[in-house]
Amino acid sequence: MRRCFLLLLFLAPVSAFAELDISDAWIKNLPAAVPVRAGYMTIHNPQSHAVSIVALRSESFASVELHRRLMQDGMMRMEAVPDLTVNPGETVQLAPGGLHLMLMQPVEPTRPGELHRIVIEFDDGSQQGLEMTVRK
Amino acid sequence: MNKSSIVIVAALALAVGFALSWFVASNKPVALESGTWFGDQARALPEFELLDHNKQPLTRASLEGKWNLIFFGYTHCPDICPASLQTLSEMMGSIEDPDVTGALRVYFVSVDPERDRPEVLSEYVRYFDPAFIGATAEMDRLKPLTRSLGIAHQIRNRVEGNPVYDVDHSSAIVLVNPQAEFAGLFGAPQDAMAMARDMTRIVEYN
Repeated sequence: MRRCFLLLLFLAPVSAFAELDISDAWIKNLPAAVPVRAGYMTIHNPQSHAVSIVALRSESFASVELHRRLMQDGMMRMEAVPDLTVNPGETVQLAPGGLHLMLMQPVEPTRPGELHRIVIEFDDGSQQGLEMTVRK
Repeated sequence: MNKSSIVIVAALALAVGFALSWFVASNKPVALESGTWFGDQARALPEFELLDHNKQPLTRASLEGKWNLIFFGYTHCPDICPASLQTLSEMMGSIEDPDVTGALRVYFVSVDPERDRPEVLSEYVRYFDPAFIGATAEMDRLKPLTRSLGIAHQIRNRVEGNPVYDVDHSSAIVLVNPQAEFAGLFGAPQDAMAMARDMTRIVEYN
């Protein structure tokens, strides 16, 4: 019981405000020689107010950023997205070839099937945790 | 020479001319569903020398005898490059005719030679398909090849001593015919099944 309570205490700061409905969150696996991974998910805002993601972090990666792929001068280019606002009722897709998470320097080589915990920070200071599955 | 023999000679010359142009033009016209074909007006590649992931030279002559699909990218690209290589792997897996798959070869050419050493390339390409070949070369050796194929690429936000920087690059897959000539392009985003049908058509028809 006591262990359970401690566990709840540990989880509370990141799960108290599940502001966004996040589904199908996954990480594209790559061989260990490559120190970056892309992450994808579907984000829906069920709130009556806009929600802005201002930072991401994970204990499994040195840093996590939002990136967008765009086409410029006939070339594909990656651009960091400093914040992402999801309007009330809006659904944003993070999908291959578009908006995605850039997960840099895995602490350990990733393997398909693993779960990695990511924490999303919002502009009002609240946070939300989620699990992302590594896929081949 | 009478009038009718002039007509016969002219007709013969015309026929020889057509036959010759058919012979000189490398490949026959093929209508593709997912790419652009110009194999019937294919352009010879310049001489080049890259190093493959087994540290063996990869030259224009290495491309002869097979239909080659070449994707230019870099391993530190987690989004678009894995998607293209995955598509190429699925394309190979969905072609049932072994004569067709046996006639194809897939290359991943890195435009980030500093980070993509042969060992990194080896692990990277084999992750997608053990038969894929990774290769790269220093920029001055790489540029003549990429330029001749219309593949643009540049390194951006490079700070001396910092291993983190960006590489912009064209995302088309280049088709090189068995005569080592530039014969077609598959623009992004590529579709594995459509490419499989197109490559089957190309190999069987030519």
